[in-house]
Parts: sequence; structure tokens; C-alpha cells
Amino acid sequence: MADETIVDVLMRRGLTRRAFMQLCATVTAALALSPADAAEMTKRLEYTPRPTVVYLSYQECTGCLESLTRSFSPGLASLIFNDISLAFNDTLQAAAGKAAESAKDTAMKDAWGKYVLIVDGSVPLPQNGAYCTVAGRSAVSDLKHAASGAAAVVAVGTCAAFGGLPYASPNPTGAVPVSEIVRDRPIINVSGCPPIAEVITGVVIYYTTFGLPALDHLHRPTNFYGNSIHDRCYRRPFYDRGMFAKTFDDEGARQGWCLFELGCKGPITHNACPTMKWNGGTSFPIESGHPCLGCSEPDFWDKGGFYRPLSAPTGHWSRAGVIGGAAAAGAVAGLGVAAVARSYQNRARKGRPSDPDQKNPKP
Amino acid sequence: MNGASLLDFARGPAFEAAVAMLSFGIVWRLTGILALRRSVDHSRPRTGFGWMGGLRMIVSRSWPRREFRERVLHWDIISYLFHIGYAVAILGYVPHILLIRNLVGLQWPGLPGGVIAFAAGISAAALLALLGHRMTSPVLRQLSNFDDYFSWFVAFVPLVTGLMAYYNIGDSYQLVLGLHILSGDILFAWLPFGKIMHVILFAFSRGTTGTVYGRRGAAT
Amino acid sequence: MTTTTTGMSAQDGAVAPPQNRQGTLPDRQRLERAMASFVQDFGVTAALYMESCVHCGQCAEACHYYVQTGDPKYTPIWKIEPFKQAYKRQMGPLSPLYRLFRLKKPVTVGELEKWQELIYDSCTLCGRCTLVCPMGIDIPSLVLAARHGMQEAGLVPHDLWEPTDRAEREGSPLGATKQVLKERIAWLSDDNNVKIPLDLEQADILVTVSSIEIMKYPQSLVALAKVMNHVGASWTFCSDGYEATNFSMLSGDRKGQHDATMLLINAALAVKAKTVILPECGHAYQAFRWAGANVYGKPLPFRALHISEYLAEEIRAGRLTLKSDPRSMTFHDPCQVARRGGVSGAPREIFKALGADLHEMSSTPAANWCCGGGGGVVTIHRADSLRHRVFHLKMQQVEDTGADILVSSCSNCRLTFDDGQAFFHWDKTAHSLLELVADNLAQRH
Repeated sequence: MADETIVDVLMRRGLTRRAFMQLCATVTAALALSPADAAEMTKRLEYTPRPTVVYLSYQECTGCLESLTRSFSPGLASLIFNDISLAFNDTLQAAAGKAAESAKDTAMKDAWGKYVLIVDGSVPLPQNGAYCTVAGRSAVSDLKHAASGAAAVVAVGTCAAFGGLPYASPNPTGAVPVSEIVRDRPIINVSGCPPIAEVITGVVIYYTTFGLPALDHLHRPTNFYGNSIHDRCYRRPFYDRGMFAKTFDDEGARQGWCLFELGCKGPITHNACPTMKWNGGTSFPIESGHPCLGCSEPDFWDKGGFYRPLSAPTGHWSRAGVIGGAAAAGAVAGLGVAAVARSYQNRARKGRPSDPDQKNPKP
Repeated sequence: MNGASLLDFARGPAFEAAVAMLSFGIVWRLTGILALRRSVDHSRPRTGFGWMGGLRMIVSRSWPRREFRERVLHWDIISYLFHIGYAVAILGYVPHILLIRNLVGLQWPGLPGGVIAFAAGISAAALLALLGHRMTSPVLRQLSNFDDYFSWFVAFVPLVTGLMAYYNIGDSYQLVLGLHILSGDILFAWLPFGKIMHVILFAFSRGTTGTVYGRRGAAT
Repeated sequence: MTTTTTGMSAQDGAVAPPQNRQGTLPDRQRLERAMASFVQDFGVTAALYMESCVHCGQCAEACHYYVQTGDPKYTPIWKIEPFKQAYKRQMGPLSPLYRLFRLKKPVTVGELEKWQELIYDSCTLCGRCTLVCPMGIDIPSLVLAARHGMQEAGLVPHDLWEPTDRAEREGSPLGATKQVLKERIAWLSDDNNVKIPLDLEQADILVTVSSIEIMKYPQSLVALAKVMNHVGASWTFCSDGYEATNFSMLSGDRKGQHDATMLLINAALAVKAKTVILPECGHAYQAFRWAGANVYGKPLPFRALHISEYLAEEIRAGRLTLKSDPRSMTFHDPCQVARRGGVSGAPREIFKALGADLHEMSSTPAANWCCGGGGGVVTIHRADSLRHRVFHLKMQQVEDTGADILVSSCSNCRLTFDDGQAFFHWDKTAHSLLELVADNLAQRH
């Protein structure tokens, strides 16, 4: 079993070679690779041993897994995840309790140093990690252990990648992203709340066939996170023409105008939503009439409000209070300086006639 | 500091501080001037409507008199290109209007992005020409001090970063946008303390002279 | 002392101070006095001007000195630079910042001396710069404030200081003392067979005169008398208050300015005048019509009119009737009367009454080129060649009208025109509007 390649598994399940090559073409297209890479992928998969994937969840909402299980394509990836090599996932597997823990230990031991570790959720640090424990073990020590046997870590979801919701101000559990704990393994951040299913699977496929993909400065694969939502948004022409929906049900909203005024964070959000879309390519939030929340960016919860335009200031300070308070302080400063200037003038004026050209100053 | 945190800083604490500085500084400087001694003019006015001369001059001094046009009109026009382009970019661009709406609750319709980019481009080109003029004209070189060059810089950077953000120039949009907003914050904070304060003072000084000349019956 | 001429600076027997310095104060005290004086003048208006300048340099383009020389030092706002610095350090709303960060250096006496030439020799206070300034800054009023400081520091150009000093001691800058006035009036009255009332106890109108007229253009006095008699006015000269020029104002001496103005006010009060007529003199109009009440400290209980205003008024009232004089003429508006005084309609009414063929200059009365002699500049000899250069502009402007006759209503302008005419061997003489009117009085039936 251990030496079985991906192709072997697929053939055993009744896939023809022709269908396999077609799948490879589909996958490379989804990954935005060149047609030449399809042949390369076919060749590599023939020799690539079946990968072991361990999927661990910490402070999370299971939304990422919900997304993953709704993966429509690439079918190859869904096969791999659903049927072939997902060695451990506590939500999906039938086993529970001690049986589940021992299954995980076995899977990890069997593929020690070679498995791909998918982490979903952030990890709290204070109180020795007491805010999140699994089977009596803190998430932080569990993660450290699991990561030490992994070939690479894929942080799925914004919680794992950047801290996400638990990390949002005031971060009561002291949560941190995976990258704060795992420092000696390559980390691929697949951010999003949740990430697009095909992006998660695509990244794992890419890693198993070609190795570490090109990453941006936030360690996200550039082939999925290289463009901003704004750059690929089908509503972009309305932005350029200055046509904006003002409310969710006005004429502009019905006409599909830009949602910038309603707080769309598309311009600063990097993700594949406008191109890959969701639910099997059905649509994506902006297409459904809702502004982008910027969920694949760090601290998206703390950017001043989902419905506050990107150009508007963040912060919930009292506009009138700050402006008025500063003005009052300015008035005090101005009157003070003028009083000092007047006193200079009084001293200078002593014993001198007033100045007729500057009219007749009254003290 | 990366682009995202710079952007958060520029939109958050930096903006708040800049607005406070703007309000504080304008009131400080204006009060400091207006609380100085005010003189009473006892001379008999030629007309009782001197203040109308003040209002007239606030408007009339926006364009040079016929006699001066030959010598100053070309620079006035370039200066207007800068000012109008700047005003269009600031007041016509929807993201800017949304900022104003958030701050003081006022709003108005915006203009297409292409118009804004054109106006900003014109404005930036005019500003460069004005800098060139300042650096080469003996009169202006003699008069110019740190304030003139720094205020120029503070006015120019938001234009450039704004255009860069619009055309998505530069590696990180967030960084460019962050720099753009931060440069706007700096413009706000600096405005009351340098020559840019003329955006407010021009009306006061024109109005003052216009009122004096108006009550004398002289041309305003 | 009435025979004192120039070169009085060493009269006290002490070591002669440098020619363009007065007194023997040490530099530090000069500086203190200059700054204290300057600070003293500051109110809202001057502060607004100092604060709103954007250094656009357009004032240079309006200034005849810059236009003719191209030398940037003649940029009007630059002429008060040391005082602008003093203001920013001392009086401005941001002055604590300037002092805290040492952004502006204290001014030195050396700088003030260097600026003397800019404050006095090359500014006629004509105010053309005010008209171009996009911020509407009235630069002449700032130059006057600077002159106050310079005077307090004893840093007035000798040539201007001398007539000022003389005016303060004798009552006239050019030696037109009370005695001289009386003699002139007697002589002119006899020679021209015209009644010139002097020192009447009561009169509706007190007329005043510029000593330039007494000494150089005595026919002006005759013309004035003819016109006043023609309209049948109740009028008089007053030997206690006749000199309308105010050199103290030009050199920056507040006290002298105050005293000279009060002489006229007291004379007018003494004869219970309802109207004071100011002579053909620009700065006299400025000093009395607009600054007079402020010297007095309350509104003046009588009117103050420039002679051209009075003439126009009498024409309108039908009391002054003129013969036609259809010659082609052009009119030079004196800066202090028109641009800064508000009188430009009256002279034109007079030309209309004369039926003159008036050729206006290329600019409106408000933006007219200055003759180059105002603000005391005509007295400063070291500035002569510069003055001639700027006069060339004026000469050209007059030539461009194509008119045969040049008329003005300021004897100081006339003096400047005469000097320029001689220097350039020009064929045009500046005539007095008043004399033109007097020459064309219609016969009474």
C-alpha cells in the first residue's frame, strides 16, 4: 500500500488512462497552469506515491471544511480528499474518542516526515493553551508535535493563516496564526473565510505534484491570490465610471453597479473569487449583490466595519468630539499667543504716539 | 510595516490625529490673528457699503486685472490648472466624497474615475511646472523658504500616490493606497501651519483690503 | 534757524554720524526701537497680510522698479522681509513655534540698513502691487509700518530725513514758513489782482496747500483763489494750518505726522470750517482724508475733499461754469488720490465740463503707472537714476495716448514729471488740473 502511486489508486477505482489525462488537463486549467504542465502533471502523478494528508482543527467554525466538502472540481482532488489519502480528519471520520486519537497517531507515524499537514483554525497561547484542548492536549502542543512530522503545512482559512475571528480585537484567547508556532516547516496560507474549495484542493494537488508553489508576501499561492477582487471584478467598469449602488435595494444595486460605497473591500483583497467563483462556479458574493468583506486578508474583522467604504476612516471616534475638541484647544492656544503678542505691544507702545496709518488702535 | 498595516494606520490613528491637527491648527492660527488688536477707522467713508468692496475683492482678485495679464496671466492659468485639477480630484472622486460623508455627513455626486485621473494628471503636471518656475525665477527663488518647498511636496505626494493607486502602479496596491491616505493625512496636519493655510486666509486678507478700499471708493 | 539748509546732521557738534543714520544710538538700541515700533503697529489687518502671503512673486510684476530693472530685490513683499521675520518671531499666532525651533533668526541692524534702500528709495507706496496680489495684501501699508520702525531706529535716508526734520521744526519741508506764506499770498494777490483771504475768523471752507506749490508752482495758489472766488465760496487760508504735505508720514515719524495733521485740524476747527480742501498733492490727501480722523481719535466734524472732488462738486451744483477747451489731453491719476484714495471720477467730470478731448491711458485709473516720485522718493537723490528708469515707463504710457497735453492733480507728480522731462529732454510738461480749470473759467454775467 505504501508504494502505491496516485495513478495506481485511480486505475484500481476503474478510471481509464484517457479519463485520467483529461482530469490532469482540467486540474492544470483550474490551477491556471499552462497546457504543457498537464503533460508534466500526468507524468509526475504516475510516479508520485499516494500522499498522506492529516487535517487538524483548532479554534475554528468548521466553515472551511464545509467549503472543502462542497468541492466540485477538480474531481481528481475531491477523489483524493474524500476517498484516498485523507488519513485523519476528526469531523469527517467515523471513529471517535480514543479510537480516533490512535488512528491519527498511527497515520502520522506511518508517514512521519512525509505527510501534508492541513491546519484549520487559530491556536491560543495563554494559560498553556488551555482555551483550546483536544483529548486533554492543548492545541499548541498538538500542533507543534504534528508539524514536526510534516513535510509542509497548509494553513487553511483565515484563522489558521492570519488569526481570523479569534484573533480579532480584543483577542480574548490570545489566539495566533499557525505561522506564529510553526517556524521550521514550509507554510502555505490558503486564506479566506472560508477559502474556495477548489483553491484548497488545488493547492494540495499542486504541492503533491510540483512541490511548493510561488507564494506572495503573506505566504499565499500567487496563482490563486495574485490578483485583487477589484482587478477581476465584473462590476469594475461601473467603478471607473463613478456609478455606485448607494443602498442594497436601490436602482444602482439592481443594475449591478459597483458596491464600493457599500463598503466593498475588493480593491485591497486578494483572492480568486471573481474567476473561480463558488458553489461549482455559480457566483461569488459581489455577484450576489453583497460587497466583498475582504475575508482573505489579515485583520479583516478590524478594518472599521464591513459596510464602511474603504476610503472612509476606520475607528469609531466621535467626529464632532475630536474636531470640536481640537478646535477648542486651538482657540485657547490662539487666544493665548495673541494675549502675549498684545502684551509685547503694550510695552512697545508706552510713551509713543499711536499709528495713524494703521487707523486708530483701541486697546 | 507592510501595506496592510500602513493602510490601517493611515485610515485609523493617523487620520484621526490629522483631523485633530487640522481643526486645532486652523482655529489656533485664525484666532491668533483675529484676536490681535482691531482698529477702528474714524475716517468718513465715501460709501457706507465698504463691506461690499470686501466681498467684491474676494471674488475679483481671483483673476488678474487687464493691466497685469500680459505679465502674469500665463502663470495664473497654470496655477489654476493645478488648483482646479486638485479640487476636482479631491471633491469629485467618490472614495473622497465617502470620506467626507463619513467625517461631516455631507455628500454629493461624484465623477467618473477617468475624469479624476485626467484632472489629477493635469494638476500634477501644473504643480511640477510651478516648482520649476519657483526654482528658476530669481524673484521666486529669493522669496522661497522651507515652507514653500515642503508645502509643494505635501501637496504633490497625494497626487502621485493617488494616480499610482488608480492605475495600480507599484507592487502592492495596499501599500500605495496606504501611502496615498497617509500623504493625505500629512496634508491635513500640515495645512494650518504652512502656506497652504491660504485656502482659508485668502478670503480674510482679500476681504480686509477690499473693505478698506471699498469704503474709500477705490477700485476693488 | 529758518535759514538752515541741508547738511544739518553734524550741527550738534558731536562726531558726524553716517549720513543715512540719525542720532548716536548704539546698534542694539536701534534694533530694539525698530522692533518695538514695528510690533506696536500690528493689528489684525497687518497680521492677516503677513500670514497670507504665498510667495507667488506676482507683486514684482506690478512694481515699476522690478519691471524696469528685473532685479528681484525690488519684489514688493521682499522690501519688508526683515519686518516679516520680526513679525513671525514676535507677533504671529505661530510665533511660539518659530522661537522654540529657532526657525527665524532675529533681525540685525546690518539687515535694516541694507533694506533702507528697498524701504525708502525704491517704493513710492503707489500700491500697484496691492492690485495684483492674489491674496489682496496691501503692501504699501506694510512698507509704511516698516518705515515707522526705521525712523524709530534712526535709519531714514538723509535726503528724506532732512526735509522731514525741517517740516517738524519750521512747519514746512521746503521752507514755506508762515512768514513765507504770508509774503507769497500778498505778492500773488497783488500781481494777479485776485483776492486771497488769509486768516479770516470764520469761513465755510479752509483751503490748504502743498509747499511744493508755494515754492515751485505759485500759480496754483492763484488758480485756487480764482476758482474759489468764481464759485463765490466762503473760504480762507489759515497761517496756523496751511501745509498739507506730511513728510513725517513718508519718513515714518508718527509724532511728526500727528503734529502736522493736528495743525490742520485745529485750524479748521478754529475757523469753524465745514469743509477742508486738500491741495493737488497725493500723499496729503492720504494723510488727511483717510488718516486724519484717526490722528484726531474720532470722526472729523468737517468734510475733507481733494480739490478735484470740490471742483466736480461745484460743476455739478452749477456754480462752476467753464469755457470749452477742446484740446487733446491725457490725465495722470495720482496713486494716492485715485488708486488708494478713491477719487477717479471727479477729474473726468471736470474734463467733460471742459469739453476736452480726453485720451485715457492704457490702464484704468486704478492700475495706472506711478510717476515714480511718490512716497518721498523724489527727495532722495541717490535714487535719481533708478527713478529715471521707472519714469521711462510713465513717459511711454503718456506718449502712447497720443494726447497733446498732460494733466495731473498732484504737485509732487508734477515735480517728478518736470525732473523727468528735463532728464529725457521730453517735449511734454505736466499741467495742473486746477490751473487748467482756472484758465477756463466762464465769464460771469
